[in-house]
Amino acid sequence: MNALFQDQRDEIVNAWVEAVFNTYALETTGFLRTQNDPFANPVAHMTREAAGIVYDAVAGEDVDPAQVKKAIDRFVKLRAVQDGTPGQNLGVFLLLKPILRKMVLPRCSGSDALTSYYLEAESRLDSVMLLAFDMYTADRDIIAESRITEIRNQHAQLVRWAQKVGGSPLNPAGKE
Amino acid sequence: MAKLPTPQELVASRPDFPEQDWLDVKPQFTPGSYCYPAKKETMELLHMPNPHDWDPAAEDWNLPEDWEKILCDAFAERLEKHRSLKLFMDICVRCGACADKCHFFLGTNDPKNMPVLRAELLRSLYRRDYTMLGKILGKKVGARGWDKDVVKELFYYAYQCTECRRCSLFCPYGIDTAEITAIVRELLHEVGLGIHWIMDPVKNCSFTGNHLGIQPHSFVEIVEMLADDCETITGIRPKTPFNEKGHEILFITPSGDVFADPGIYTFMGYLMLFHELDLDYTFSTYASEGGNFGSFTTFNMAKKLNAKMYAEAERLGAKWILGGECGHMWRVINQYMATYNGPAPSCMMDVPTSPITGTKFTNAAATKMVHITEFTADLIKHNKLNLDPSRNDHIITTFHDSCNPARGMGLLEEPRYVLKAVCNNFVEMPENTIREQTFCCGAGSGLNTEEIMELRMRSGMPRGNALRYVQEKYGVNHMACVCAIDRATLPPLANYWAPGVTVSGLHELVANALVMKGECKRTMDLRQEDLPNVEPDETETQVEGQ
Repeated sequence: MNALFQDQRDEIVNAWVEAVFNTYALETTGFLRTQNDPFANPVAHMTREAAGIVYDAVAGEDVDPAQVKKAIDRFVKLRAVQDGTPGQNLGVFLLLKPILRKMVLPRCSGSDALTSYYLEAESRLDSVMLLAFDMYTADRDIIAESRITEIRNQHAQLVRWAQKVGGSPLNPAGKE
Repeated sequence: MAKLPTPQELVASRPDFPEQDWLDVKPQFTPGSYCYPAKKETMELLHMPNPHDWDPAAEDWNLPEDWEKILCDAFAERLEKHRSLKLFMDICVRCGACADKCHFFLGTNDPKNMPVLRAELLRSLYRRDYTMLGKILGKKVGARGWDKDVVKELFYYAYQCTECRRCSLFCPYGIDTAEITAIVRELLHEVGLGIHWIMDPVKNCSFTGNHLGIQPHSFVEIVEMLADDCETITGIRPKTPFNEKGHEILFITPSGDVFADPGIYTFMGYLMLFHELDLDYTFSTYASEGGNFGSFTTFNMAKKLNAKMYAEAERLGAKWILGGECGHMWRVINQYMATYNGPAPSCMMDVPTSPITGTKFTNAAATKMVHITEFTADLIKHNKLNLDPSRNDHIITTFHDSCNPARGMGLLEEPRYVLKAVCNNFVEMPENTIREQTFCCGAGSGLNTEEIMELRMRSGMPRGNALRYVQEKYGVNHMACVCAIDRATLPPLANYWAPGVTVSGLHELVANALVMKGECKRTMDLRQEDLPNVEPDETETQVEGQ
């Protein structure tokens, strides 16, 4: 079973990474492909980090949800703040399916066991997608909270002063 | 029969070779990608040209009727005035050295955020009117004319540049892309286009001297409140001299340190340090703002807002100015102040000299302004401060080089020297993300507004990513910086990319470690949080022993 997915691991992981890069503008893709420094090209680094573990999880390797979440955390955070609808930003995980169907599924023909194993792998990809969805919404919540916190912090001392001198309707007596 | 699209169709991976050239792809003004426009009343009060109501998301921006002539004339005027601009327009060979250095490009992957292409938005207009080839061959050589979509595009990308100048560091010709952005913003102001987050502080600064428009009496009372907090923590109430004539030093810092969390703790650090030194200084309620949002608006506005520094130093008879931890304030001082409002008043001393150590700050001879980090580093070097860095032992800190002090004035070693003296655990972020190569917080140059929070999170991603790396690898739980905008913008950035890392100014940590003469036993840090490493009192020890 493992051989089904392991034989072409690198090719499939690379194909998915390329598919993700292709969601960006043509002028950008070359840079994403060629610069390997994790700090000079963080988007590519995050994508590759996510790609490897997602593939292993889908392939049925011994990977628990916590490991998957850790590996895709930066990637999901990035997609959560980049342009595009939530569907577009998270849909990149599903770009792995056509690649699997092209490169792995044909090798299952004639074997019910292999086909069944393949279908389980696709279901695991759905699970990864659901994990990512939870993380994505949590990240969007952080953005919303940050906006509120920032507004509050900007005037924090002014509000404190207003309450002290009786400028607040909540504390007209001006007691701290 | 209708069918649902496939995920690939929904994600819309682009075709191998898009039909449109990069220059023809127009930006989408979606919420979160643009700043709110300046109010018409604000622009009128400031006598800005062509004030009007407009909405970036609307089709029609209500530009004045002769908008194209206004822009062409304004561009011509600036090309005439700034020789550097003409050079920047002419000499770029599009080598691409800057292309992948911009944090906006790295975060958005939008090709127009490559500094070379962002500048090309203006250069293409220049090419049509000022180069022979452009006049003859037009689009074939990358020339184009003005239209309303071009104006929108200029606005979109001029406010997706924080003028951090990281790209300029890598330009073999030294083209300062930040100045190109500054000129584009100036041009847009000619047709009444500005943003609220910049123009409101500019208005407030013009009328009351600080960004929030706080009146002098309130300003003083808030500072008094912070002095009370210092007393709660140390048992010593630092003095708070305001508008007093005849002191040697005028101290100016960004007002964010007085009003905003967590900047206030840095301000309390200043108060405690100056009190401990018995420094001969005064604050001013008129020059109560170090920041200069005019520098994100126009040359003349920056000049106007900067003028108060020397004017107030002269009025109060100060010999030199000590400046707090700020970012663009220092770029304005080091790169533009002498041109704007120099030379400094003749009453000021030739070379600012530390009254504590006698050190002459020759680097500040022209501006008469010394950065507080230089001042404190000099104090530590001469062993003038009693420091207990173990009070910061619960902190493993890294240092974020703020773009303007790092690249605009070369302030690289002093903050590290101070940080290492007050904190035992210091870790650098990766080499290509610090010092001259530092990544911007993602919200400088007036972009630290909440409506573009998600844009800030993606443009600040390279910084957040480097921070996350040292957090995971070395357990870093703190990031120090020397910029008020950083202190405001890095906390949400850290919370997003590296949750668990706190952010503070340098002098907050200095004051935590500072052992003041006659202070009570410190049990709290400046945030009034318990110090974890404080030994229990004797009585408590006895109780435990029994």
